[in-house]
Amino acid sequence: MIEKTEEKSIVVALAGAPNVGKSTVFNLLTGLSQHVGNWPGKTIEQKTGILRRGNWTINIVDLPGTYSLTANSAEEQIARDYLVKGNPDVVVAVLNAASLERNLYLVAELIELSPRLIIALNMIDVAHHQGMKINPEALASTLNVPVIPVIANKNKGLKELVEQIVLEYDRPPGSREVKHIEYGSEIKDTIDHVADLLTPEITDPYPQHWTAMKLLEGDEQINKLIRMRCPVDRWQILDDYLGENESAAVDIATLRFEWVEKMVAVAQEKPHIGWVSFSERIDRAATHPIVGLLILVGILGLIFWLVYSLGIPIQKFLEVNLIEKGRALVFGNLSFMPLWFQSFWADGILSGVGTVLTFIPILFFFFAAWAAMEDIGYTARAAFVTDRFMHLLGLHGKSCLPLVLGFGCNVPAVLGTRIIDSPRARLLTILLTPLVPCSGRMAVIAIVAAAFFGSQAVLVCIGIIIFSLLMLVLIGIILNRFIIRGESSALIMELPLYHVPDARLIGIVTWQSILAFIKRAGTIILAVSLVVWLLGIIPNSNINDSILSQFGKMIEPAGRLMGLNWQMMVALLTSFIAKENTIATLGVLLGGNGGDLSQQLKQIMTPAAVLSFLVFQVLFIPCVATVAAIKQETGGWRWPLFSVAFQLILSFAGAILIYQIARLTGF
Amino acid sequence: MESERTQEYLEAIYKRQRTEKPVATSTLAEDLKVSPPAVTDMLRSLESRGLIDYKASKGAILTGRGREQAVAVIRRHRLWERFLTDVLGMKWDKVHEEACKLEHVTSPEIEDGLSQVLGNVNTCPHGHSIPDKSGNIKEKGMSPLSKCQAGQPLCVSAIDREAPALLRKIEKLGLRPGIPVSIIKKNKDGTMDLEAGGKKISINGEMAGVLLVSPATRAKEGAVTGEIPLSKLASGHSGIIRTCGSGRSSLGRCLSLGFTPGSMVKMMENFSSGPVLVKVHDTEVALGRGLAEKITVYPNAKI
Repeated sequence: MIEKTEEKSIVVALAGAPNVGKSTVFNLLTGLSQHVGNWPGKTIEQKTGILRRGNWTINIVDLPGTYSLTANSAEEQIARDYLVKGNPDVVVAVLNAASLERNLYLVAELIELSPRLIIALNMIDVAHHQGMKINPEALASTLNVPVIPVIANKNKGLKELVEQIVLEYDRPPGSREVKHIEYGSEIKDTIDHVADLLTPEITDPYPQHWTAMKLLEGDEQINKLIRMRCPVDRWQILDDYLGENESAAVDIATLRFEWVEKMVAVAQEKPHIGWVSFSERIDRAATHPIVGLLILVGILGLIFWLVYSLGIPIQKFLEVNLIEKGRALVFGNLSFMPLWFQSFWADGILSGVGTVLTFIPILFFFFAAWAAMEDIGYTARAAFVTDRFMHLLGLHGKSCLPLVLGFGCNVPAVLGTRIIDSPRARLLTILLTPLVPCSGRMAVIAIVAAAFFGSQAVLVCIGIIIFSLLMLVLIGIILNRFIIRGESSALIMELPLYHVPDARLIGIVTWQSILAFIKRAGTIILAVSLVVWLLGIIPNSNINDSILSQFGKMIEPAGRLMGLNWQMMVALLTSFIAKENTIATLGVLLGGNGGDLSQQLKQIMTPAAVLSFLVFQVLFIPCVATVAAIKQETGGWRWPLFSVAFQLILSFAGAILIYQIARLTGF
Repeated sequence: MESERTQEYLEAIYKRQRTEKPVATSTLAEDLKVSPPAVTDMLRSLESRGLIDYKASKGAILTGRGREQAVAVIRRHRLWERFLTDVLGMKWDKVHEEACKLEHVTSPEIEDGLSQVLGNVNTCPHGHSIPDKSGNIKEKGMSPLSKCQAGQPLCVSAIDREAPALLRKIEKLGLRPGIPVSIIKKNKDGTMDLEAGGKKISINGEMAGVLLVSPATRAKEGAVTGEIPLSKLASGHSGIIRTCGSGRSSLGRCLSLGFTPGSMVKMMENFSSGPVLVKVHDTEVALGRGLAEKITVYPNAKI
């Protein structure tokens, strides 16, 4: 090639099924020059990155993991729309050599769309451990597509891949004839017939022939689009024809897999029959209905232990050293300024920042644990063993793990629902998450119960937790049956081979999750903290006379129904910022009376009132960080507001009910 | 009807097109045992009649009409071969030459008669598909054995040459279409050690090139009966998928994960309730029980 001085840029799309190590390839190619955003109009992460090499600027777009180009999920729709409409210069299909048979299906679809295609055959080493031998040259010559063997997590083969991308981009058009799948004349005629009923204007921007095939494959999104654009009478003919040829979807998929098997027969040497892989051996235990459940409990126990033994001390350390010292600094150095100004910095800004900051150590461990479980391949097993328990709620196994994470913190739980592919199941899970008592709520429950009930506190705590879980099931059933309509989705997911976690990948994922949390939730938390602070000092810097207290007094009649005075109500209201705030606020509001929390509570509360307080606490609206996370994940204000409203109603109703029952039964 | 010569040319081009496109003059000269200049003349004439696209430098490709003609001849040829073996009891190494003569003198009535007498056969004795009356031919996914790797469960689908001596040798080794084979070892000189129909045999490179095989899971036709829902398949047992009858919403996902008719599944875990774990297309897939009830399989199918 002649040296050229001008910059040239190539747009490369990385396509591949889930669990092929695509993220590792992407991270290695782009390093830290990544941009993480959302796909337009979607809540699905879009990752792009830049790789510079000589005069070349290679823009890499990481597409969501997809098994096929039929839009079975939002991820698949994004990936295929990008491939069809985005016109990437080169498409790199990342395949997992250890499950070549499954991964070549996507290639079967890609060769019909992409004129410049490269196959990155990843995890050659894993395939080897599985007892398979892969011959990349044979695959390349049979497909007539370049195949680059890669071991991404050992950084092997990536240089060759980049070189091939440049070569492929420079290749004159039409210089390689990719072998298309032979669908046989019967299917071909059927596809042609549908294509003849369409016109380029109707199918734009999708190719006409391709659209015909997707219609026959039963792709709902394409179906909707064509129905909208087609003249009514034409659609009638088309729809009838599609109805007559319903079996075409199965035929097309079958022919593709036949083609795939032919490729595999040429390129892959299988282990002898009866060979059991390491993954399969682990799975006999990990997916067993009883042993698997015990393993799951063990792993979760370990994660929570890590969070509490490492995360909480760091959180405390930050609180003491940054927030407290910061406050001292403010009061020490700004003493010449008006009191409200000092308070603005110390109580408004610092405590808001503090709330964000103190979330981070806990979130770090949860995000890291989650990323590790995903990378190892365990989340799918966890979903498998818990599937049977989730059907009652109209959910399947994939919803269980996020909910369990909620016991630590609701925020990573809401973010964790990303593993659920059905939008309906995902929304349901998100709405149920705030009903899982998080560590913040549990802290309040534990402190208040211990202060009031003494030796019986443990029983009370357990009772409250069981109560909130029962409410979760009940609400789940109600939401599933009456509020969010739709077919409950069935579990169907691949269990990836286990593999050794890649620390770098986990690091990047954790870092990006935390960054996203700070960016999106941080601003909301800070704003709400400032508003609450403002309400607490207006008009005269004394919280007892403030608007917040006025408001508390205003709703005291409602509070009386559940036996709570206005101080308790205000304490509950401030838990909106962070659940732990309840204790601090109580301290401030009751502080005037002297004595410790335990004595004060006993002075002003009956057992029935404390019970109702605890119930109110666990059912009350999600904290602001969770609300921000819900907004981030559902892509709008509709569902976070719904969640706040229904939990508000729920908490009032629950607390009133408990108080009245407890009073009548003589507490 | 086109002349006998024309038909033979079209047939030869059609057969070669599967692996070579366009088909070179020299290849045809070799196949038809004619001199290259004669082939060139004939190809020009075929082009002028709109049966092929021909470029002297590259070779010939059948046009739609040419393909139609070729498939019609092939249908008659393969029906005759079947008739000769099945009805007249001739050996499979002799029937090709006879059919070559008969195919050109077969009226539509005789063609229909043959197909009725033979009933429901869809391949010739050498394993190639017989096109149906309207010219549809069900292409089978086949590769030469020489291109396959060791260890794969395969099945002989067809033999790519009709040379009598070669066919006799193949028959002696017991390698008829339908026989399961797998490669034990590929040697440097092109010979191979095979396991075929339960025996160990060796074949030479020529044979490895003409034996067309397909993955064993596809060789299911007529071999098994008695379908059951996938959810009833016991742990450790295998089956071949018959139908994927799940509802609209999950059908696409089922298909793209490989639950297609003819695919092999192995049940890894099936406790009486809860989801099942199956192995399909080399990966483990978890399926909700409700979904597993809607997929039917032929259990314990031999491969």
